[in-house]
Amino acid sequence: MFIGKSNEISRRAFMRRTGQLSVAGAASSYAMGLAGIGEAAAFNASDGYKALVCVFLYGGNDYGNTLIPYDSVNYGRYNAIRGGGAAGGGIALPRDSLASTVLMQPDEQVLTDDIRYALAPTMPRLKARFDQGAMAPLLNVGPLVVPLTKAQYESDNNSSFPRPAKLFSHNDQQSTWQSSQPEGSVSGWGGRMGDLALSSNTNSMFTAINASGNAVFLSGETAMPYQVSPEGAVLIRGTTNRIYQSAAARDAMNSLLTTHSGHVLEGDYARTTARSIEFGGFVSDALDRSVLATDFGSGGLASQLEVVARLIGARNELRTTRQVFMVSIGGFDHHDGLIGSHEALLGQLDSAMDAFYRAMLELGVADQVTAFTASDFGRTLASNGDGTDHGWGSHHFVLGGAVNGGKFYGTAPKVSVDSDDQVGRGRLLPTASVDEYSATLAKWFGVSASEMPSVSPNIGRFANPDLGFMQTSN
Amino acid sequence: MGNIQADECVREQGAQITAASDAESGGVDAKTAGALVALAAATAACGGGDSSTTGGTTAPPTGGGTGAPVARPSTDAQAARFVLRASIATSSGTVAAVRRDGYEPWLNAQMNAPNAQSAEQFFAAVGYDKVDANRFYNLSGPADNMIWSQLMSGGNSVRKRIALALSEFFVVSVNNLNIPWRSPAIGKYWDILNEHAFGNYRDLLEDITLNPAMGVFLNTRGNFKADPNTGRVADENFGREVLQLFSIGLFELNQDGSVRTAGDGTPLETYSNEDVTGIAKAFTGYDFDFTGIGFTPATQNPAQMIPDADYVRNPMTADSTKWVRPRGQSFHSAEEKSFLGITIPPGTGAQETLRITLDTIFNHPNVGPFFGKQMIQRLVTSNPSPAYVNRVAAAFNNNGSGVRGDLRAVFKAILLDDEAISDAGLSNQTFGKLREPILRFAQWGRTFGARSAIGAWLVGDVSSVSNRLGQAPLRSPSVFNFFRPGYVPANSQAAANDMLAPEFQIVNESSVAGYVNFMERTTNGSGFWVRDVKAGYSAELAIAHNSTALLDHLDLVLTGNQLSQNSRNVIQAALDDEVVTESSDEATKLKRIHIGVLLILVSNDYLVQK
Repeated sequence: MFIGKSNEISRRAFMRRTGQLSVAGAASSYAMGLAGIGEAAAFNASDGYKALVCVFLYGGNDYGNTLIPYDSVNYGRYNAIRGGGAAGGGIALPRDSLASTVLMQPDEQVLTDDIRYALAPTMPRLKARFDQGAMAPLLNVGPLVVPLTKAQYESDNNSSFPRPAKLFSHNDQQSTWQSSQPEGSVSGWGGRMGDLALSSNTNSMFTAINASGNAVFLSGETAMPYQVSPEGAVLIRGTTNRIYQSAAARDAMNSLLTTHSGHVLEGDYARTTARSIEFGGFVSDALDRSVLATDFGSGGLASQLEVVARLIGARNELRTTRQVFMVSIGGFDHHDGLIGSHEALLGQLDSAMDAFYRAMLELGVADQVTAFTASDFGRTLASNGDGTDHGWGSHHFVLGGAVNGGKFYGTAPKVSVDSDDQVGRGRLLPTASVDEYSATLAKWFGVSASEMPSVSPNIGRFANPDLGFMQTSN
Repeated sequence: MGNIQADECVREQGAQITAASDAESGGVDAKTAGALVALAAATAACGGGDSSTTGGTTAPPTGGGTGAPVARPSTDAQAARFVLRASIATSSGTVAAVRRDGYEPWLNAQMNAPNAQSAEQFFAAVGYDKVDANRFYNLSGPADNMIWSQLMSGGNSVRKRIALALSEFFVVSVNNLNIPWRSPAIGKYWDILNEHAFGNYRDLLEDITLNPAMGVFLNTRGNFKADPNTGRVADENFGREVLQLFSIGLFELNQDGSVRTAGDGTPLETYSNEDVTGIAKAFTGYDFDFTGIGFTPATQNPAQMIPDADYVRNPMTADSTKWVRPRGQSFHSAEEKSFLGITIPPGTGAQETLRITLDTIFNHPNVGPFFGKQMIQRLVTSNPSPAYVNRVAAAFNNNGSGVRGDLRAVFKAILLDDEAISDAGLSNQTFGKLREPILRFAQWGRTFGARSAIGAWLVGDVSSVSNRLGQAPLRSPSVFNFFRPGYVPANSQAAANDMLAPEFQIVNESSVAGYVNFMERTTNGSGFWVRDVKAGYSAELAIAHNSTALLDHLDLVLTGNQLSQNSRNVIQAALDDEVVTESSDEATKLKRIHIGVLLILVSNDYLVQK
């Protein structure tokens, strides 16, 4: 039986999400300024434009060859576990290839076993940003319901020591990272931040923008992600031009595209088409006027970040004050072929993220935009021959002018396959949770402590709602 | 209705069953036709009130001479609706054939028929398997052209429709096959799916496990046993995904597809990480079988020797003497292998290990509901009732003759089930599924007689969202297919109604727009991807002068008469905007046809298949 739930969604929320565009300079009776909403002002957007950009690495990024132990003791451990270098059939990176990407933390910061790290050899740009204080690595972060020791994890006592469901499964961990729940989840923490930010945006439909494939990360309870391709908004030619030289056909198409018989799936599809038509021209015009000098080069991630950068450049025209974006790059499931392929992907990541940062500098909003990485999971430290298998905790990067960069956050794991901070073959048991990661970003974004559980549902179980990698004085 | 049924019955008893003459039916050979006559004679019942007037009942799985009446569609719409699920496209001739023969006899005939041309034969016919200056051995484009040739032409669209559904469950993507002859590799994989589509799941599972394309895609190929000196252990990729995606899934299921839970309500997991580590050992020691494989110097660089394409067609082997660099030892794990509650003793060889492993997987009670539900989702509806899943799982567990894993029985159970056939689904606003873009483009081609002018089917990769179709067969972005079976679109009516809608995972503001643009240029042949593949529109040209007849015909063959009256009115008005008579020139007639076809293919009541 069909239930028309749209009338159950509050009219205000419905209008916010699908309401008419407010074009800069034109009066619209549906313009949703802050004055028009009267929502509780717990969310703080008074300090100007801010944006978060999630860079999702699909497949499970191998932490072992991303942040590599560089001091001789720990490098020795790493090298042994990874079976030596590729020439000898192992998957360790040669130590001398790491010399120019060593991350020198401040003297007063001493990590586990006095470890020093180097970035992969193909990441010199992010190393430079680290040195400048604009990039911070977060060590051993992963989804947790509660903090867990190894003994608690191995006890299989799910009620006393709950752990995320379906660990080590790609699709479920992608969903868990993005939304705290396995596949089938309908709202993610990026979208839930968007929910809180909706009323800050005159054109609330552009609060959450996805430049890659559908993902739960940007879906909120109310906020609906708007998808844009790297080439910009895709416009339906037949809605404005004659079809096969027939104006009647064009008119018919316009009618057919947005009408349906009442079937649930037809309605959902028609609504997406209506959004595409309604917003596409507007976004297209805005993008046409948003030109950047920064050269992003070519490649999937680069072109996604470029369109995000141009949308940020068009924020005044789009009339948005708080936005959450998502981009992604795939190919990280290195069960085999780790050496070569992995560094190449990291090189793309390095180049694209750095170009994005340069574009933010060009726009004068480097302090107002923060990009951060995420992935399904880390991988094993031990090798399976020429690759690694699914893991859990991993290392990630935060990049932006508001980042407290130049040092490490989280707890460095031991370089081991039998220590207490790993659960077999060097799969890391996370010591920082995704909830703490997301809460730290959310706090900077403007989410208040009282609203934090709506973004990061497990935050109450962890000691550190703020991991400290953002400058709090903003 | 009773008189009409009796008349049909009498005609049918006396008639020779012949294959529909159009390209769609796939052709039935004389032997099969004769068998059909005998079958029909044995099972048809003339007169008497039976439920075949509603086209409802499910025939017995073996379809033998039980004396039960053959269920038949009562209307053209019912027939078309059935065919459009079971195959890629339909025609007025096929509609008539199904009405005449009945659902199950028609379906049996289609399932009996082999493909006219395999992927391997296509590559040979076009010359895509030759070593020459084209360097086809490095290209994936031939695979694109092959699959569109398969989907749009060459008959037997039932077998191919099912193989396409299988390709979205047992996923391999040519995107990640970085080996020489990647196109013939995925072609062989496609041929295996077609070969076993109506065979047995256990045979299919074994063939895909040993298939080189799968071996490269999920790393079985070259996966060596553990080396305690380096700490290296077996690659877990295939071991994990064969359980998670190709057989039992993550949670224990009841036969109706619902998840089994422990006393406290937590779902019961089917396997642990230890099971994955254990089963990974079973898939060690395999590599390409180079027996009989010759080498040809590359045209541009004679020092580079290119193997014959057959090396990606031979099943992989654990006999290392047959590898391209023969070895004197086995790389299959000699350790004890424990998983899913069984233990394979140490020293068990590769072949025996494989047999035990695949049998263990095959006999797990999850396979019926896990596989069955997803096949229902691919073919009929995204949200089958638990009872429907139960019936399909039961067919998997036992085809009626004591055989487990009979895929023919499974697909018949899916397509002939009352939940699929009953007209009740048409008034249920939660029933059915969104047609995925691949199906829409394939249906266009097959319906309107698409043919390649030069024989090479130069369609290419249509994956691009912004300037192509947004989805391409055999090019899934990962082993997880284009969309997940449990996907729920956010902020949607589907979510509010607790519905799954897998195909919506690739629906967004860019892809819906890209699709309309793609179909506009496909329909009139102006797109670059249809520079070689052209639709004939021959049946439509004959009636283009009569807009109502044209609309009726297109509505029937494209949607099974599922266009709403409102949609029909709008489209009719567009068709009638210009005058077309019998003596109008072809361009004028084609213009009207293109308008009708395009408007239907972008209508929401076409896009959702009910």
